[in-house]
Amino acid sequence: MNDNQNNIFTTVERYYNDYGLRARELKNEGRKAVGYICSMVPLEIISASGCIPFRVRGSIHEPITMGDTLLETIVCPYYRSCFDLSMKQKYDFLSGLVIPHGCDSMVRSFSVWSYSLPYSYFHFINTPSVCVESSFEFFYAELNTFRKSLEKFTGKEITDDDLAQTIRIYNENRDKVRALYEFRKADPPLLSGTELIMVLTVGSSLPIGEANALFDQVLAEVSRRENSPLRKGPRIFIDGACLDNIELIKVVEELGGNVVADTICNGTRDYFPRTDVGGNPIDALARRYLEKINCPKTYRENKTGSFEGDAADRFGDIGAYAKEFKVNGAILYIYKYCDPFGFEVPARKAYYKSIHVPLLYLEDVYSAGTMGQLKTRIQAFLEMIG
Amino acid sequence: MTATQAAASIGPIVKEFITGTLRARAEGKNKLAYTFIHCHHEEIFRAMDVVPVWTENFAGICGAKRDAERFLQRAESLGLSRSLCTYALCGIGFDQWREERGEMPPNSPWGGQARPDFMISSGQILCDPRSKWYQASQQFMPDVPIYNIDLPYPLFQRDRDHRDVWGYYHKYIVKQFRSLVAFIEEQTGKKMDYDRLKELVDLSDRTWNLIDETYNLRKSKPCPMGTGDAMNTMVPVCFMMATEKTYDFFVNLKKELEEKIARGEGEVQDEKYRLMWGGGLPAWFALNDFNYFNSKGASFPVETTYRTTEPLHGMDIPETKDPIEHLAWRWLGYWTFWYDKAKKRPGSEPDVERLINWIEEYKIDGVVMHEAFSCRTWHVGLIWQLHQLAKIYKPIPVYRIGTEGKKERVYRELPSLILESDIIDITSYSEVDTRNKIDAFIETLESIRANKAT
Repeated sequence: MNDNQNNIFTTVERYYNDYGLRARELKNEGRKAVGYICSMVPLEIISASGCIPFRVRGSIHEPITMGDTLLETIVCPYYRSCFDLSMKQKYDFLSGLVIPHGCDSMVRSFSVWSYSLPYSYFHFINTPSVCVESSFEFFYAELNTFRKSLEKFTGKEITDDDLAQTIRIYNENRDKVRALYEFRKADPPLLSGTELIMVLTVGSSLPIGEANALFDQVLAEVSRRENSPLRKGPRIFIDGACLDNIELIKVVEELGGNVVADTICNGTRDYFPRTDVGGNPIDALARRYLEKINCPKTYRENKTGSFEGDAADRFGDIGAYAKEFKVNGAILYIYKYCDPFGFEVPARKAYYKSIHVPLLYLEDVYSAGTMGQLKTRIQAFLEMIG
Repeated sequence: MTATQAAASIGPIVKEFITGTLRARAEGKNKLAYTFIHCHHEEIFRAMDVVPVWTENFAGICGAKRDAERFLQRAESLGLSRSLCTYALCGIGFDQWREERGEMPPNSPWGGQARPDFMISSGQILCDPRSKWYQASQQFMPDVPIYNIDLPYPLFQRDRDHRDVWGYYHKYIVKQFRSLVAFIEEQTGKKMDYDRLKELVDLSDRTWNLIDETYNLRKSKPCPMGTGDAMNTMVPVCFMMATEKTYDFFVNLKKELEEKIARGEGEVQDEKYRLMWGGGLPAWFALNDFNYFNSKGASFPVETTYRTTEPLHGMDIPETKDPIEHLAWRWLGYWTFWYDKAKKRPGSEPDVERLINWIEEYKIDGVVMHEAFSCRTWHVGLIWQLHQLAKIYKPIPVYRIGTEGKKERVYRELPSLILESDIIDITSYSEVDTRNKIDAFIETLESIRANKAT
């Protein structure tokens, strides 16, 4: 990434539109890129093995065709799109793929991926469903299995020092993302939601060192800004799973909203939790990925005996961000067929009501074709909250 | 219409255990627990006199009685998408309505679903709704605690031996079971009687083996019992395990099948085709589709759905005298049952391997699957499994060494049919379309047979 002379966002846009460009270049230089799906894959271990973690993304503009010949249409449309692009060799530069237990679609289709794609390495990480002491012990063992399988694949030992080093670098990466979010606190924000998602998406396609360098350049560029790229408008919070295409956020911002915060998987859910340093690195990773990532897939016991108390425990981060980023309204954006998020809709709706944040709930199918309908509903919502 | 007397006896049994939960609720002597099938630790509930309330069963009954729609609509009105598990939607809709009224919704099927004292979730690693359902229901009954038991198993990976990792899987599952026991002890105020638990585990083990022996009898030609019946005999397997009643049920069913075989009596009078129900939960409101198949001379000697047990003697698991440790090994043994066999066959995989084995053992002419739109757990991967099968069963002649060591030419073509609807959402079902598909499939079977003959 050598583009200091140009506006860094031109580079970001290029890498966003030609997703995987850099990974392909690195593959040609003899590096191994390992694809992954979901925020539950400890990237620190992949990087410590010498491989480049590469987040497989879908495309809302590409009709799902080849993927549908092998995978049922009742699978989450985002995940189907990822599979479809993989089948169409969009990610043929990958050497391997890691899929965690993120949802039923991931578990039940693991064989479909591993038998249909020509990568030489596949690994499934069995992330526990509950957050108790025995599940941390189990996850610790499971992550060590992952570590060993990567050692076998690369022929390189992954030492605790290697892991401590990558944990430090990833924590730096997360600090930089948090700094990017700080620019969204201005009113109007100095960094638009569209820009941010583009930057984060590109970051997940680069080696971590290059991602950090890119984020530094973006931070420098935005810190020089005197004016916001957006007009002042209702400050919107986006709640949901992975949103790796900018269109939804772009629609909100074109209609006059300012997207200022989120809980999406490629946003605060993944980037805000840091890994503890100083102790056993695998133990620290087990705790970060199981406990600190607030994913609806991980069951957390209701220790309060009331729904309100439980909702505050489960969704308290939403309330905190809403306050911190001075949110005026929220959009709960859920993919059809998504069980982990889908079953939480009534509880999330009730929670938003309790914190007095107006909510628009949208169920969508990860397709550019639905953007017109969504636009109408978002426009009405923005008018309503003024 | 069922082929066996055993299957015909199931309706009253189901009704009895639904009304039994309502009686237990009224009497208040025993604690009631919402819970899920296919978790393989019923012994723990029964040893502690907990009355299981099988929530999937109640949703299935609502579906079979074609009375699920009002509960599904209620769930939708709460913000739950119809694309989610409709068992769960039906259950949550029902719970919300019951809690809102403080009594059962009007004209609830078979008296309704009793309010639980606690709920035992288990997402295992195969069903998100099981992990999320009770959490969603708890919004409307926050005083009812949940214990969510995690029951993972090593996923199949061609280049790995699951035994390399199952030591720590076992350790984790044992801890999860022990925590479950502690939770139930706290809820019931009773201590676990481990001798009784061991007896019940032994009883289940014997029942698992007996189920295998019984269902193996269906390999006979003509087949004495089909999948339509098995969708009834799944009741003791899934809802009544660890009881003498279930063991006796299979003793009687085995006897009945042996007698039918001795008489040469099949599920259909003139068996023309032997089909396998190769995957997918049934459309509970349309079980008479099996009778329609039968009317065309097609029998279903085997199904993968609700074959939720495997013979213990086929499991390579360590011996232990601790019933909790045994439950954990049995769990791992069950889920990895087909792993070694699958590794030996290029292109195979455990689910595919099971299909191949049963196609051969039960002499299957075609495979039927059902894609229920609301369930990813049991339905994702079915298309791919058929795709893998098609690589083996091609419409071309192949040569093999047959009887007396002679080379013989055989055709291994295996047509398949995918039906589409749902488990309980009747709005997704079209009888006309389904029957047209079945007719076309039967014609395909006829045509293949005619081609082979020529």
